[in-house]
Amino acid sequence: MNNTFSTKRCWLLFRKTLLERPVQLFGFTALILAIVLIIYVVCKSQIAFAPAQNISFLWGLAGGGCFLSSFIFSYFSSSANGSSFLTLPASAFEKWLCGVLIAGVLYPLIFLVFFRLMDTAFVTMFHNSLDPASPFYKRTYESVYVLPFDGTFAWKVYPMFIFFSGAMLLGSLYFNKVCFIKVALVICIVCIGGFGLNWLFAKLFFGTINDAVPFRYVTLPVGNEEGSVELPKSLSNFYYYSISYVIPVILWLITYQRLREKEF
Amino acid sequence: MIKIDDLSFGYTKKKSLYKNLNLTLQTGSIYGLLGKNGAGKSTLLKNLAGLLFPTGGAITVNGFTPGKREPSFLETIYLIPEEVYVPALTINNYKKLFSPFYPNFNEDDFSSYLHQLDIQEKGRLNTLSFGQQKKFIIAFALACHTRILLLDEPTNGLDIPSKIRFRKLLATVFSEDRMIFISTHQIRDLDNLIDQVIIVDNGELLLHESINCISDKLAFKTVTELSGTAQVFYSEQSLKGLTIVSENLHHEHSKVNLEHLFNAVTENAGKIKEIFKLKTA
Repeated sequence: MNNTFSTKRCWLLFRKTLLERPVQLFGFTALILAIVLIIYVVCKSQIAFAPAQNISFLWGLAGGGCFLSSFIFSYFSSSANGSSFLTLPASAFEKWLCGVLIAGVLYPLIFLVFFRLMDTAFVTMFHNSLDPASPFYKRTYESVYVLPFDGTFAWKVYPMFIFFSGAMLLGSLYFNKVCFIKVALVICIVCIGGFGLNWLFAKLFFGTINDAVPFRYVTLPVGNEEGSVELPKSLSNFYYYSISYVIPVILWLITYQRLREKEF
Repeated sequence: MIKIDDLSFGYTKKKSLYKNLNLTLQTGSIYGLLGKNGAGKSTLLKNLAGLLFPTGGAITVNGFTPGKREPSFLETIYLIPEEVYVPALTINNYKKLFSPFYPNFNEDDFSSYLHQLDIQEKGRLNTLSFGQQKKFIIAFALACHTRILLLDEPTNGLDIPSKIRFRKLLATVFSEDRMIFISTHQIRDLDNLIDQVIIVDNGELLLHESINCISDKLAFKTVTELSGTAQVFYSEQSLKGLTIVSENLHHEHSKVNLEHLFNAVTENAGKIKEIFKLKTA
């Protein structure tokens, strides 16, 4: 018997994971999508189309994915549930893979399909509501378009989704109870701490500063003007790609290791 | 077979619960693990099931290292914790989702055990009472026909008729190729069921003997007054006189009273160890 991976066992586990807690998984997914719809509608009516698309896409994918990920390994909130999960005859790799498939593949897929349908519907409704005889028709028509999934904004959101979901998955294996809040707190502390330390070092180094973003730039007052000290492009890119892609992947991989070593 | 070699375990580095524990358990027996609250009974079970990892020494269960939690190991062992988990599923759906993981699961046996334990089959499992949920998990675990069954306080939450049904069922399903390991402090619930007694206290193994051997070495009787040369390890005033546990010098036949045995062993660990060592010497 293969003790690491078996397609049959993995399928059984995937099916069990989905159907064992349908309210948590499907219910929360439906709730997140409903919230995304509300955000989109509210922002569209109060601000404009583009912010509505961006905000709902960001919160739906990164926020929703992060929230859902915190439930994937929530078995450890009770002793009985945790024991049952760990002693179920499936390998740690299969248990991890099921979590990754649900949080990292299934949810984004559902979200992207939903978002595209929702976005297309609203954009089409807007386009249909325009008067083709209007002199501004073409310009107004072209000002609103479906959010491209390969656009700049989407590519900023994908790493955020991978990072926060990975952090939640890993955090749920460290914090057995209310992991969403605990991990969110840890992320806040790390971010605030990082920015604070960066600010402190920049201030010690440059004296008076206006702004300091870790691994990006420091802005300084130069007379009445403002100047910025930036990292060389190659170094800045290295840090950007490390934070956006390498660290999130490491988080997802550590989750597997943590699951293997989880004692309960 | 379970083999524990020099097991050390502690939840913190400073305080160890077990230190150099050695134990060998064979199939074909129902073991009763007795100990006070906090003695480490559940911890030992969790180490055997691979939920906790020893800080020292080694555990082998049917040739596997439990801590690796390999599927081929987990298929051979079922742990019923004190608090059981049941999802919001019907019995039928639970069976469909969980039973495929256990290759020896028998559907007919499962139905029969559900019937014998008097479990209502309608509705979702999470709406059942705690006792019903526990009986359901017991029925499922038995139907999985794993070679090793670990039960942590199995009778907690069961009413009196259910405890009787549980004992009967366990006695019925037991076979020579299985091992049942029961941890409990409700000693009376195990009467007539276990054939091997293990008593642990302060991380130390105080006794590991068969019921037959215990009744050979110790006498459990009621007397009007303490007399004679036999050493008394435990005495308790009862309505009929003084119930005692003493050394069985005259090879009298008496029924082992697990509660009195437990008290005798925990109060006279050194002397009891000596008596049972004599047997192996």
